[in-house]
Amino acid sequence: MSKFKNQLMVCAAVLMLAACNKKEKAVAPTISNEALTTVQLVLINTASPFDKDTATWQQLLDVNGNPLPEDTSKAILNLHAGTTYTAQVLMYDKTQTPATNVSDEIKQRANYHLFFFQPTPISPSNYVISTTTTNIPGTVTSASGPYLNLTVNRTDYDTNNPPMQVGLTDNFVTGAASDGHLRVVMRHQPNVKNGTYDPGSSDADISFRVHIY
Amino acid sequence: MLLLVLSLKGFSQQDSIGRKSCAIIFKGKVYAAGNDSLPYATVEIKEINKGVVTDEQGNFLIKNICPGTYTVECNYLGFKSIVKQITFNKNISYDFLMMSEDIQVQEVEIRDTKRKEEKNEMISQQRSELKGKDLDRTRGLSLGESLKSIPGVNSIQTGPSISKPIIHGLHSNRILILNNGVRQESQQWGSEHAPEIDPFIATKISVIKGASSIRYGSDAIGGVILVEPKALLSEPGVKGELNLVGMSNSRLGASSAIVEGAFDKKLKGLSWRLQGTARRAGNSKTSGYYMENTGFREENFSSALAYNKERFGAELYFSRFNTSLGIFTGSQVGNITDLQQALQNTRPSTPSYFTYKIGRPNQQVTHDLFKAKSFWKFKEAGKLEFIFARQQNKRYEYDHIPFNGSTNPALYLQIITHTTDLTWYHKSTKKISGSIGLNGITQGNVRAFEFLIPNFRNYGAGIFVIEKWKKNRLTIEGGVRYDYRWLRAYMLDNNTAKIVTPTYQFNNVTGTLGMLYYLRENLTFTSNLGTAWRSPTVSELFSNGVHQGAASYDIGNPNLKSERAYNFNAAINYSGKKINGEIGFYNNQINNYIYSKPDLQFIHTVRGAFPTFTYTQVNTRFRGVDLLASYKIRDSLTFTSKAAMIWAYNQTIQDYLVFTPANRFENSLKYNVGSLGKIKSIYFNLTNIYVAHQRRVPPNSDYTNPPAAYTLFNADLGFDLVIGRQVLNVNFSATNILNASYRDYLNRFRYFTNDVGRNFIIRLKVPFNLLQKIFFNENNVKQ
Repeated sequence: MSKFKNQLMVCAAVLMLAACNKKEKAVAPTISNEALTTVQLVLINTASPFDKDTATWQQLLDVNGNPLPEDTSKAILNLHAGTTYTAQVLMYDKTQTPATNVSDEIKQRANYHLFFFQPTPISPSNYVISTTTTNIPGTVTSASGPYLNLTVNRTDYDTNNPPMQVGLTDNFVTGAASDGHLRVVMRHQPNVKNGTYDPGSSDADISFRVHIY
Repeated sequence: MLLLVLSLKGFSQQDSIGRKSCAIIFKGKVYAAGNDSLPYATVEIKEINKGVVTDEQGNFLIKNICPGTYTVECNYLGFKSIVKQITFNKNISYDFLMMSEDIQVQEVEIRDTKRKEEKNEMISQQRSELKGKDLDRTRGLSLGESLKSIPGVNSIQTGPSISKPIIHGLHSNRILILNNGVRQESQQWGSEHAPEIDPFIATKISVIKGASSIRYGSDAIGGVILVEPKALLSEPGVKGELNLVGMSNSRLGASSAIVEGAFDKKLKGLSWRLQGTARRAGNSKTSGYYMENTGFREENFSSALAYNKERFGAELYFSRFNTSLGIFTGSQVGNITDLQQALQNTRPSTPSYFTYKIGRPNQQVTHDLFKAKSFWKFKEAGKLEFIFARQQNKRYEYDHIPFNGSTNPALYLQIITHTTDLTWYHKSTKKISGSIGLNGITQGNVRAFEFLIPNFRNYGAGIFVIEKWKKNRLTIEGGVRYDYRWLRAYMLDNNTAKIVTPTYQFNNVTGTLGMLYYLRENLTFTSNLGTAWRSPTVSELFSNGVHQGAASYDIGNPNLKSERAYNFNAAINYSGKKINGEIGFYNNQINNYIYSKPDLQFIHTVRGAFPTFTYTQVNTRFRGVDLLASYKIRDSLTFTSKAAMIWAYNQTIQDYLVFTPANRFENSLKYNVGSLGKIKSIYFNLTNIYVAHQRRVPPNSDYTNPPAAYTLFNADLGFDLVIGRQVLNVNFSATNILNASYRDYLNRFRYFTNDVGRNFIIRLKVPFNLLQKIFFNENNVKQ
């Protein structure tokens, strides 16, 4: 019986020792590998380099890596009618200090990424988007309008063979004065990029307000 | 070689004891029904370690036996062992008639009434066992897939590589899995976290359907799965078994080997076992296309060392399970628009091909189990059993390579669990038997990288009493249990960024009352009423984030209370000469049932919109029937039918519960061909499985309607091949012979892809027995 008691004591001691090692009390910081907090569109008038407009969409994360409410107060583009702009898409991860320039990372892996720009509302008969920027499937068309008169062309290419467009730099061409939204989607298409929307998944899918005057 | 010497020495010693008339000869023949003689069957006289193997004609001869009464055992693979007490006072001639296991054993072993002698098990509950040839026919499959042939048991799948068992519509934290007697503790709350158990360690897998909290602890609301290895060798010698499996569809290869032994003489009572399994599979194929990144790799091993005496025994056990699982890439939708797009496609938009390579996303999981067990038997006080176990589960989940090129996992979780169980089986009388037990558990969970669940510590303690009273045809059993659970999470406060420690305490009393009554010798009625409870898991309390592959955003609810179940089941079991069957009914009332309810709202993130789901508690009722019946048309031809139907109802919203298994029917016809020369116990089996369209679904709870009904045909051909002295168990199977295109409601990837297509499987089992060889040599030497 005493042998049994001894064994029980040993087991209890082992259990207590093991239980004392409380690693869980130290909480590791949340590292979101794929955090993307900020998307910026920087547009420069091709006719007048001082005519510059910037729109910023931002959604920061809390300490547990969960999204805070989105900040769309600066996500507005004010553009002149009948004007051509060169556009640059800038993306940042502001959960890091200093903020990581995500658009540089995307540039390095341009073969995996493709941007889509979808002005809305659009009309079913006249998609006011360029032929090189196919529309996003499922976009609702409006029969009555008024439509946003904006055309977007991607101007950069990846290193695929043959090269395919990326969309980090673009041309924005405005028509007559109008109001609407511009949906920007970045598709992540590792090894399956073929120029269309379908393969892969969306890494970013956000919207800007557009005012053409 | 050493063992050979030991054994020979053993024999000579036996002879040199020097009784005068140790010259009795024991001879005879071993044959099977139908007069097939059985070569290479073993005949062994247990007490004096004398054994031989029958010759080509099935004859055996054992010489030099001293007078006395001995236990004689005759064994042949695939046949029931014969154990007889024989008194030797003159030369004896005896013929053994062996009965094939197939004739006695049903598809799934129906309740074995002899089990009533086991005092530590509840007998009034529905219980199914998978063992022998039925278990052999599932070799190479995961635990979740292996159990699907049992009525009332399904599996929830995440593509072809991840499968979790469901009992009576309940899974994950609502069922318990006992891996070699230890409750499996990992991150089992996740529907894409499969049990980290190698089914090759088991020679029997039992499923207890219905609440079983009293004996096995809280959480066992739906039932218990017992993964049971066979006992270590008690007779000196070394033997083993090699299993090989190959599958055409995913080009799966699996091999598993066991070597075990027991020592003799001074080390008598000491036994050991080593076991290892490797499985590897590439991309699975549906009827029309490959599913990208659905391969997996698994390497497991276990070892055991035991010392057993009559009144004392101790056992050490260690096992490691290690796997890499690919997650079907086509399921990686970004947001709800991606998902809607995927739902409109009839096949994944990205074509794939065969490869063993596991890309991203994937999971890498390691589960270690250490167990120490000992028992003491007392003359008057019964038996005391103590088990201590430590489990460590490490889980790395890898997503697509992120923008910053980091090769870190997206998620890392490590949980260490210590459990202790002390059970006292008090001395039983003719009428009364029972046990009293104490259980203790503590867990520590550590996370890193993304936040999915917080760090936590919990402590739990339970005490139970189970008593059984038996008189004539009636057995009544009852039990009571008290449980206490303490949980503290460690996480950062969203506003202050300081560590906060929300703490919970739960305690509950549960009870059970059951009966078994023999209406006739072969007709029993069982009924059981039991309660069970489960405390909310940390994922239900605190999870907050995007659920990968489901395009949903899960929100925990820190105010959840514990779930409480009131379970009633009743079954009638008949085992006749031609007809066998069991019909079981159950009604499981679960109050405060926790589930993630669609909020019908969206959360907007940079990746787009996600519908949110919040953990909520409702009252539910799970009601159903399981049926198993077999009819022996001729001695060699048996028809078996199984059915499982379940109605899961959410009483709070007065509608059905989402993700409940659809009605399932399985019919099979088995033909025992008999033997053809050296090919023994040939059988052919044809199975039809019909899974109905699930129509019992609430509106607005899923992204799409449940898939259509489907029918599958499976076939298998099995036999034992005798090559020289070696017996080989061979099984050829084909599943989904017609290469049907189908989607299953319980497969979480049904939104994106069809289920697995046609698959040809070959299974080989090679038992080897070094002890047997020694006897054979011995016999030759003496002659």
